[in-house]
Formats: sequence, structure tokens, C-alpha cells
Amino acid sequence: MFKRSDESLIEKAIGGDAKAWQQLVSRYQAPLYYFGLRLLGSPDDARDLLQDVLMVLCRNLAQYRGDSSFKSWLFGIANYRAMDMLRKRKATTEFTDDHDFYDDEAPGFEQQLYGQHTQRMVQQQLRTLPPEQRLVVELRFYQQFTFDEIADQLALSSNTIKSRFYAALDKLRTQLELADVEQSANF
Amino acid sequence: MSNSQQIFEAWLAGKITASECEQQLDQNTEWYSRFQTAQMIQRQAKAPFFAPVPDIDTMSVFAQQWQRPTQSHSWWPRLSVAFSALALVISLSPLEMQMQDSGLTLSWRGGQQIQQEQLDTLLASYRKEQLDYIQIQLQNTQQQQASQLILLKDYLTEQQTKERRTDMLELVEYLNQQRQSDWHYWHYWQENYQPSQARLDASAVVRPNR
Repeated sequence: MFKRSDESLIEKAIGGDAKAWQQLVSRYQAPLYYFGLRLLGSPDDARDLLQDVLMVLCRNLAQYRGDSSFKSWLFGIANYRAMDMLRKRKATTEFTDDHDFYDDEAPGFEQQLYGQHTQRMVQQQLRTLPPEQRLVVELRFYQQFTFDEIADQLALSSNTIKSRFYAALDKLRTQLELADVEQSANF
Repeated sequence: MSNSQQIFEAWLAGKITASECEQQLDQNTEWYSRFQTAQMIQRQAKAPFFAPVPDIDTMSVFAQQWQRPTQSHSWWPRLSVAFSALALVISLSPLEMQMQDSGLTLSWRGGQQIQQEQLDTLLASYRKEQLDYIQIQLQNTQQQQASQLILLKDYLTEQQTKERRTDMLELVEYLNQQRQSDWHYWHYWQENYQPSQARLDASAVVRPNR
């Protein structure tokens, strides 16, 4: 089936086409929610972030000029809002993450090559990273943005992004090794 | 940027395969461990995520922001407004509608009188304009005549003076000529006739009874 481009949907939505707006929302609703879920660690916060970003998007739809891809522009908004929420939350209470996002009843999930256990471990270790490093890893691996795109979204230099990215990889490596050793000791 | 970093970033960008990257980074422990960690996260990122996505109602905001209320396309309200406006214009203007002999006549109320007034005004204006013009022309003519009469008088006076002077000169010349003629005559008489006359006169004195 022919897939309309984001730009075409935006143009129609600005003209008042509710279907185009609905299509645009449904295209990015899940990626934005999962982005929030991984970054903020709480379904409620992820829901708030999703709602916030969609409202901002709706009000500022005409501001999109097409200088970058729509996804990049949209995640620029999401990054800013997510970091804002993280900063506010850090100021009030230290976040302790005990949420489990994985649906055990999902079909075929047990048959994943790297089982639920490994995925949970990686996800847990990702959440221990500082927000700035976590954001870069999220954008690079989960959202498939290039270093230059991430640099544009965060208004930083590409070298700073790379520096954060490699620091995150090193830290994750160390933590995963430690977690592996602890698990071996427990068994 | 080191060679290993370039290799690693080439793999991240999808320019080389994982096995090629692994082979090339085999000797560099730091970059090899980064590569392994990155691979692990990448696999995790590719795994499906089944957490249910909440449904956010954005339609009300969208409708408020981008949708305008549809305008009614019925002609009746517009027609009604148009007729009302027409009725107002007819009632305020001097337009008259008259039904006569199964016919409808539209006319301007008091039109003939207005036309007559306008005509009278125009005629009065034209008359005044003409009178002013004639008055000016008359004044011009009078001024021209006066100046021409003065010129004629001066001319005549000058001519008369000239003629009088000429006559006087001719008279003087005539008198001079007369005097000269008399003088010649006198000389001639003195020389030729005076002696014989004297004798005649003397003889008349001698014989007064003749």
C-alpha cells in the first residue's frame, strides 16, 4: 500500500485533515512512548511525555520547515521534554526503577535469540547511565539517528555526542561484566 | 580520529559488516570491547517491544488548533439580507414604484421639478456668464474707442497746426512778394512817371476852372 510521506501528512493536517493527523500520530505514537519508557523508566512518565510531545507537536505543526527529517525534528522536541522531566524529577526525588516493561504473554517473545533475561539485564544497565549518555545511546541505537543528527537535535557538536556515546559504551561494558560476575557468584 | 574508531563508525553506519569490523578490531582490546557492547545493545534494540501504547486523545486539540467550523452554504440567509438591503435603499431613495394599467413603473420622486431647478440654475449661471462677458467686451471696446479718439484728436491738431503754419508762411511770402512788387513799381514810377506827373499836377494848379 502506498505510504504517504510525513511532509504530505503534515501539509494535510495543517489544512484541517483529521485523518492525516491521526495517521501521523499513529506513525510516531509507539516510538515516542517506548523512547519515554526507556529513558524515564516509568509508564506514567512515558505517557505524560507522549501526551506532552503530541500536544506540542499539534500546536507547532506549522513550525516544521523541512530542514531536517520530521522524525529528527520530532525527537528534538521529545529529547528536550524528556530531559526537562528528568531534571525536575531529579530535583524532587531520586528515581528508583523497578518497572518491567516486557509483556510475558507477547507471542513469540520467548523465542527471541537473546532471551528475556539478557534483554532485561541490558535494559537495567542502560538505565543506570547518566541521562545525557542514556539519551545518546537511545537515539543512536533505538532511533537509528546518525551522530550528526543527534548533534543537531541536542544543539551540541558531533564530537561531544561521540564522546558521550563511547563513555556510555565503556561504562555499560564494565557494568555488564560486573553483573555477569555477580550472577555467576549467586548461582 | 584513530583507525579503529573509523572502522567502528563505519560498522555503525552500515558501511562494513559485523564480521569485517570484528576482524579488523581484533587486536585493539578497547575498541573490540566497545564493538561487542554496541552489538549487544543493537540486538536488544532490534528485539520487539510489546508494552501496550496508551491511547492519547489529540483530536480535540487538533480540531481546536487546525480545523475551522464549516461554513453554511445555504443561500437563504444571504438572499434575505440582500432583499432587506434593497428595501432599505428603496425606502430611503426617491425611487417610486407605481402600478398603472397593469404595468409597473419605476421613477424618481419629484424628478421633473428637480430637472427644472437644475435647468434654471444652469440657465441663470449661463446668463450671468454671458452678461459678464458682454460687460467686459463693452469695456474693452470703450477703452479702445477712447484711445483711438485721443489719437485722432492729436493727429487733427497736429495737422491743423501744420496747415496754419503753411498758410501763414504762404501769406508772408505773398505779402513779401506784394511789397517787393510795390517797391519795384514805386521805383519805376519814381523814375519814369514822377516828373511828368509833377508837371501835369502843376498845370492843373494853374488852370483850376477847367
